[in-house]
Amino acid sequence: MTAASPELGATHDLIMAEAERIKALGEAAEREARDPVNQPTINNWLEAMGNTNPRFHAGEAPPSMAQVWTMYGLGGKPPEDDPLHGMMKVLTDAGYTAVLGTNCEQDYHRYLQVGEQVRVTTALDSVVGPKTTGMGTGYFVTSRNTWYVGSEVVATMLFRVLKFIPKASA
Amino acid sequence: MNVGDQIPVWEVPITPTLIVSTAIATRDFQDVHHDRDLAQSHGSKDIFMNILTSTGLVERYVTDWAGPETDVRGIAIRLGAPAYPYDTLSFSGAVTSVEDGVAVISVTGAVSLGDHVVGTVKVGLPDRAGSLA
Repeated sequence: MTAASPELGATHDLIMAEAERIKALGEAAEREARDPVNQPTINNWLEAMGNTNPRFHAGEAPPSMAQVWTMYGLGGKPPEDDPLHGMMKVLTDAGYTAVLGTNCEQDYHRYLQVGEQVRVTTALDSVVGPKTTGMGTGYFVTSRNTWYVGSEVVATMLFRVLKFIPKASA
Repeated sequence: MNVGDQIPVWEVPITPTLIVSTAIATRDFQDVHHDRDLAQSHGSKDIFMNILTSTGLVERYVTDWAGPETDVRGIAIRLGAPAYPYDTLSFSGAVTSVEDGVAVISVTGAVSLGDHVVGTVKVGLPDRAGSLA
């Protein structure tokens, strides 16, 4: 899709310029998990998922819990310098107010162990658009999280959202 | 594990309790996953399953079948129709490749509105001695 008016073209140029600026920050907004990897949090997760894998009562954490350890928590907010948060704000300000998760690709380098302290960084990977989709016109924003224990990468995640103008209000 | 192996279908009844308990257990406190009034005010039909739970259920589907000793190396999912309460999330899957001790399993989780999640799971297979490849 090409911009329909000079005004939209200017907005697109601004969005892409901001995307380049934020991408150049690289891995940013480093945060520590609130708690070390711990059995009570694993147990709550296992109960909710109905997962009875005995490995997770013997010192290992479920691999797909990687992201859980560094969630913001109730009332938590991303830091101002968070690349994904920053890019979302640029698009919200440009009128792309709605958001929808479209892809989540997690790679686990190894299983985490109870007691390990995890930290995460966020980088902006790409911004592609504007695209016309079934939901409305928007930009696909892809970010990459990297989880560390000490200096070791333990997991990565590529997360893509569609940030869009809902059809009804377009 | 061989290419073409089918994983038996797993049907998960989607209850409000499942959606809320998994959202909180994944430490995802976004209101659309626990507060129907607010979810509806955002234009959603009801509360809906969060992405961390879709991923967690895909992990469980594969390891319940492949065995607890199976090392999950990665889960890549594409998200589609929302998983709302009172629907059923029906998982199906098959082994698409086995190479150098790593198998790729394709998984689909469908709800009445269409595919909720489509993706692949990479698993490391135990070698003959029982240690991980």
